[in-house]
Amino acid sequence: MGLLNPNSLLWAISIAILFAIYLRSRSRPTLEVSSLLLFDEAAAPTARVRHLRIDPLFWLEMAVLGAITLALAGLYVRSSSAASRGRTRALVFDLAAGIGAREGSGTRLDAAKKQALAIVDGAPERDRFSLIGYALEAEMIHPETANRETIRKAITGLRSMAVPGRRAAQSAALMRARAAGEVEFFADRRPATSVVADSGLSSGFHFHQSGAPADNLAIVSLDPGIPYSSRGRAVLKNFGPTPRTCELAIDNGGKEVFHQTLVLAAREQILVPFGPLTAGGLVHARILDHDALEADNDRYAYAPVESHAHVLVLSPDAAARDDIARVLLAVNSNFIITTSDPAHFTGTEQYALAVMHDCYVAGITAQSILLIFPPVSASAKIPGLGITGTSVAALMTNQGRADSNAAPTALASTRTLAIPEWMSVNASGAAAGAHETLPLVAAGSLPSGEFGVVAFDVRQHLLLDPDRLDALVATVDLVRELTAPTQLRIVSTGTFLAVPAPPDAKVVAPDGSTISPSRDKWGRLRIRPLQPGDYSIESPTAKTDVYANYYDASESDLTASTASPAPLLKSAGAAASGLAPMQVQPLSALLIVFAVLAILLESALLLRTANRWGMRHV
Amino acid sequence: MLEARAFEPDFLRRLDRLILGVKRARTVRAGQRTIGRVQGLGIEPENFKEYAEGDDLRFLDWNAFARLDDLLIRTYRAERQVEITVMLDGSASMALPERDDKFGLARALAATFAYIGMAENDAVRIVSFGSRRDGVKLQPTPFYRRREQYQAFKPVLDDLRCAGETRLSAAVGELLLQRRPAGVVILISDFLVNQTDFEEAMLHLLGTRQEIKLVHVMGEMESEGSYPPGLYRVRDSESGELREVAFGPELATACRGRVTALSERIHEFCMGHAIIYAQAFGARHLDAILERELPVMGVIR
Repeated sequence: MGLLNPNSLLWAISIAILFAIYLRSRSRPTLEVSSLLLFDEAAAPTARVRHLRIDPLFWLEMAVLGAITLALAGLYVRSSSAASRGRTRALVFDLAAGIGAREGSGTRLDAAKKQALAIVDGAPERDRFSLIGYALEAEMIHPETANRETIRKAITGLRSMAVPGRRAAQSAALMRARAAGEVEFFADRRPATSVVADSGLSSGFHFHQSGAPADNLAIVSLDPGIPYSSRGRAVLKNFGPTPRTCELAIDNGGKEVFHQTLVLAAREQILVPFGPLTAGGLVHARILDHDALEADNDRYAYAPVESHAHVLVLSPDAAARDDIARVLLAVNSNFIITTSDPAHFTGTEQYALAVMHDCYVAGITAQSILLIFPPVSASAKIPGLGITGTSVAALMTNQGRADSNAAPTALASTRTLAIPEWMSVNASGAAAGAHETLPLVAAGSLPSGEFGVVAFDVRQHLLLDPDRLDALVATVDLVRELTAPTQLRIVSTGTFLAVPAPPDAKVVAPDGSTISPSRDKWGRLRIRPLQPGDYSIESPTAKTDVYANYYDASESDLTASTASPAPLLKSAGAAASGLAPMQVQPLSALLIVFAVLAILLESALLLRTANRWGMRHV
Repeated sequence: MLEARAFEPDFLRRLDRLILGVKRARTVRAGQRTIGRVQGLGIEPENFKEYAEGDDLRFLDWNAFARLDDLLIRTYRAERQVEITVMLDGSASMALPERDDKFGLARALAATFAYIGMAENDAVRIVSFGSRRDGVKLQPTPFYRRREQYQAFKPVLDDLRCAGETRLSAAVGELLLQRRPAGVVILISDFLVNQTDFEEAMLHLLGTRQEIKLVHVMGEMESEGSYPPGLYRVRDSESGELREVAFGPELATACRGRVTALSERIHEFCMGHAIIYAQAFGARHLDAILERELPVMGVIR
């Protein structure tokens, strides 16, 4: 209940005026009579003097004025539309990795589905259901419908993803559900109170927790090291409250290089060294013990091959050539690096990587091309790349790296680039004095090869400046990406990946399912691994393996459901009393009808009084 | 005002031939008071009767004894010497309702009875009574016997004002303290007093052998209950008591019933105590009242 025009309550002054009139009327005309002896027997019409008495006419007039005032103020009630349309209920599912944990014979998600199906089956016929899932993003899986069969199918078809559940996605899912009368929230852990409160739910919120606390072992990270050079490291963590044994096996190119059973204390994280490896290639670490969440028991890494790859570095600046060569050797010490002034370069050799700084030389054959501070003429080398100008200085903003400095990194001269769609921007910044975002580091792959571009100039030993470490880190990451084997990609689950592929390529997922996605105009397949394991992109002529790793500390912690406090969600709890979407129903018409009836009743009473007194009017 | 009519020549002319009848003649002997119809000390012979033992031999008719050989006693009509006191209620209730001019009617009647009473040279006075803070106050006029003196009542009546409570027994007691000879008391009032006070007053008068004539005066609106309809707060003019009243047909009926009951109660008392009771309701009916009620009051043509 509320008021649409609270200011109109000023009309309530009329009630005060009526009351004043009433009190004034209490001082009714005084008539002096010879004696009250003559009025002793007039019992019925007489009344004792008092300030307030039951005067139907007065109270009727008060009711009329009150009703009119409330009508002017726009009194309304919020009522449920359930009576006419049935309730609308949103089923919101957590589809992140944690809900996929094993729970008895099934998974936590299976238990949640069972609860949801029971709700659907037990709901009245007129109720309508919608289905929303979230993990990295919120998704409306099935719009609102009264068709029970389709909603059951949608629920049954839900699958968990080996990706972390993002809080923003959780909020987005609840926001999408807030139009519904009731929200049935299925997750393995209670959402934060603030998330529910901020989502603006105005209706019933019911949390259905599925899954009991469970132990879990996870491979946090895997560093293969450098073959023959440095040892690899695997980091393991026991999320359980009790010590656990962990049988860890590490393969390199199909050959087991490490197999050991380790003991991890409760909630302990250990670092397991292995190697150095004797060969490059794919490194696969796996936990052989069974636990609740299998997705974080496998992890893939790539060890650089020991073969000597030829790398070309061209720059008009000798110091820059030297700096770039040092960085390349830091990435892979097996690189055979050729540096040259582009004005005197005449080589026709094929290179694994060609780095061109502030120059462009056509006709160089390389598997990967890296352009640093490219001149305008270099735009011809990379399809779609535009070089529109040069900024005297720029700032590289923090790219969200935990180890990066909070302050932006000051850069020297920087090209203003127009990055084509097929390339992804790895780092960006802003030109000095400007507000527009300036792409600084970008990479992409085409069937013709891998391409990378660095917009800022690396002269003056920029890459070796300890105060501008972000520039070095961005460059190293880019070099690693460009020198990685094209037939083998290692990504995190949930990452969008564009892989050059032949027209007839198909993708075989880790669970054996096959899909045939269409290629984009640059001949690439765009995939997003949502399960850990090998996504094989196969064609009769080529094969590319994409290995997806999953690890998320919060999702892998299967005891978190009990560790997190479970306060009653105040706003949601209060809203839980609502049964259906609330509708605002103004009561103006009703109040006016009431006022009219009251006036009619008052008139009837006046007429009766007039008749009793034998008068034609009162 | 209505009382002015009582001094108009035309009105008085109608009263000239009327005399006030009294049941008992008063014979006043110097120093004492004797009451009787026969044995008066008048000079006008009235009749003869046979002698009986104890009769005053001074009235024996010796001539008749000589002629008839019977002892006859000569009787005389007693000389009328009656004091007529017209008691006029001057309490506050007599002034209300103003529209009724009840007090004007009462004053006119008082003057009328005074005029009639003076027809046979009886001593007449008008005594107005009302209560004040210091008790009941009587405002008596001197006794007047001749009609030439009638006009002396006019300024007195004109100056009368109504005030105070009706304390009838107290007023009568105050009057009797004057120890005047028994006579005729004509009491003009609305009698809006409690019955005990009324009866006590009447018994006081009767105890002093006064001949009592009551004139019950009420206003037309008052007796009919025909107040303007509506809700009112009424105040008793004498006690000041307030009461909320809704005037209307029901209340008018109740008022009429109440007045009738009051009249009947007074009338019943009067019947039982040889008191003459007359009603004078409505000032505008003065002529009709005189025509109807004067015979009741013992007025003889």
